[in-house]
Amino acid sequence: MATVVLTKAEGYTQVELREAVCRALDTLNYDFDDNTEFIVIKPNLCYYWDYSTGETTDPNVVSAVIDWVRERIGENVCILVGEADASAMRTKYAYKMLGYEKLSHEKNVKLVNLSEGEIVDREVVVAGEKLVLPVNKVLLDAHLIINVPKMKFHRVAWGLTCAMKNMFGAIAKPRKYVYHPRLAYAIVGINKIIKTNIILVDGITVIGKKLKKMGIIMAGDDVLAVDVVAANAMSYEPSKVAYLKLAMEEKIGDIDSIDLIESGVRLRDIKKEFPRQNYWLQKVSWHLQLKILGTYARLADDVVPPTLEE
Amino acid sequence: MENFSFSRPTELKEKRKVATLLRLGVIGLGRMGKLHFLNALHMKDVKVVGAADKSKESRRVAEKYHVKTYDDYIKLLDSEELDAVIISLPNFLKRDSIFYASEKDLDIFVDKPLARNLAETEEIIRKVRAESVRLMVGVNYRYFDSVQKLKTILDQDRVGDVVIATSELIMDGPFSHPLVPKPIPEWWFDKEKAGGGALLDLGYHLIDIFNWMFGNLDIEFSTLGYRFGLPIEDSATAVLRSPETGVRCIVNTGWFSKMIFPSFNFRINLHGTVGYASTDRFAPKNLYLHAVKEGTLNLFRRAIGTKVQYMSYTYYYASFAEVLSQFLESITRGMQLPVLLDEQLAVMKTIESVYKQNGVS
Repeated sequence: MATVVLTKAEGYTQVELREAVCRALDTLNYDFDDNTEFIVIKPNLCYYWDYSTGETTDPNVVSAVIDWVRERIGENVCILVGEADASAMRTKYAYKMLGYEKLSHEKNVKLVNLSEGEIVDREVVVAGEKLVLPVNKVLLDAHLIINVPKMKFHRVAWGLTCAMKNMFGAIAKPRKYVYHPRLAYAIVGINKIIKTNIILVDGITVIGKKLKKMGIIMAGDDVLAVDVVAANAMSYEPSKVAYLKLAMEEKIGDIDSIDLIESGVRLRDIKKEFPRQNYWLQKVSWHLQLKILGTYARLADDVVPPTLEE
Repeated sequence: MENFSFSRPTELKEKRKVATLLRLGVIGLGRMGKLHFLNALHMKDVKVVGAADKSKESRRVAEKYHVKTYDDYIKLLDSEELDAVIISLPNFLKRDSIFYASEKDLDIFVDKPLARNLAETEEIIRKVRAESVRLMVGVNYRYFDSVQKLKTILDQDRVGDVVIATSELIMDGPFSHPLVPKPIPEWWFDKEKAGGGALLDLGYHLIDIFNWMFGNLDIEFSTLGYRFGLPIEDSATAVLRSPETGVRCIVNTGWFSKMIFPSFNFRINLHGTVGYASTDRFAPKNLYLHAVKEGTLNLFRRAIGTKVQYMSYTYYYASFAEVLSQFLESITRGMQLPVLLDEQLAVMKTIESVYKQNGVS
């Protein structure tokens, strides 16, 4: 049975965030293997946007996770924080700009660029389709992977990015944009290759229709179960999120019986509060705007700014 | 202020007169270069003869319009008969490319900043003067409709004596995310190659506007911010003061704000003895409605055969088309350039002083 713990920070100070993270992880009560010595933490650093924008994982949340791991397993456990380059983002700059270099010094953890070092091509079959995805060996060698995603609206990923989509960001190839036409397959594929052990969702500042500070912290032991709960919180029907539907068919996780533990906050209250963005309306409106722009530019022989070119 | 456009040798002016179209080359087809290239294609009496960029992918835009491309600007300048060139290269490549273009006797349009530092700026200005070519820095913010209106108000003394002027230009600078994601060129993160951060990139515009409005300014106070922990500043505040009139100008600039097009965060406010004026009064309240209105007007203009206001529907990008058009028109007609090199030298002096004041070498 998959377990998902839902809780809320009392406030936004470092102490209050730490309390919420520890409460969620303690409640999850993950059963550590005695031989756990090497842990990789994967935050979501999709771009150079500050965590206060709701786009990237708050380093204070990762800091709290590191403290909790050391308290539970021991001070000597080896912890790496890993992120891969993205189409528009270079990890070495993201670490610097988003406070992760500071975190690395303060907590004595190593930062790893998952696009560099030993990269292994791993073959995976998703719904009968064979995919080859490059993965950093660090992820394959880790005794435990802690996935620390953001919970937010995503224009491309059927409205939702959380635990499964965060692992898509771990694919070693920087230009992940090439996977977008088969995004659901790539997301499910990478989650088949790399099994996340613990998920700790940063929903402190969320993005839906607008930015909102909600203080949500979610912990789980199953990526699909966490994403299904996140989809519910954001008012999306999980079976309509293409990669979740595919993950259910591929039995990536166990969602037949999710043990949802609501610690100090109820899912239905979060659902009410969440600034829901209508994915289809947003998608149609966006494409319509681009279509109108293209037609106008042709008719008027005007220029389209390069930043808007598809 | 000296304007050397009048010191151009007569034979060159004659050469320009007989040419039907101004023959233009574009050096650099990155984000800004591509924009200039597309704008230039639409300019009257201009023929874009060739374009150069070392990136094959970037050259595709020129090839799409059947413009000859080169992987090196030297090849472009050696091979094509040109009258003028647009240089849209990273800051560390500007000096050499301007030198080479000026030795080829070409008039030059270059993105701001003119150079990485004051010494390089002085060197460039000496060179173009020695070669008797004309050079204009593309300070497009002067050409925002709202800024032009504010300047008119100032020139007509409608706010009385300006005592305090404030300005803000806070966006995401090089960190803006295009629709098709591409990595930010790494030179932006390198102090040596970029020369500076938000102050040199965005603050440049605000200082240029204040210099243009009030003349040269001294620095009263300045501070730089490093929220992102990069070797270059991501925010800057400077208080400048005119030694002649005493007007105090406050510059607030930064790269730290996530900004999605068409949003932008820019304003100039003039506080005078009989009132105040702000660019916000003249900027569109709703950028989407503005786009619809301007787009419709342009379609109408196209239908009746009058001049389309290029990119006016974007508000922000219209200024880029306008500043380039001003340059091309000035050199085609042999007129004085509207942006003077001494003004740009003054801007760089101010920026260099701010860096020195804050211990940046």
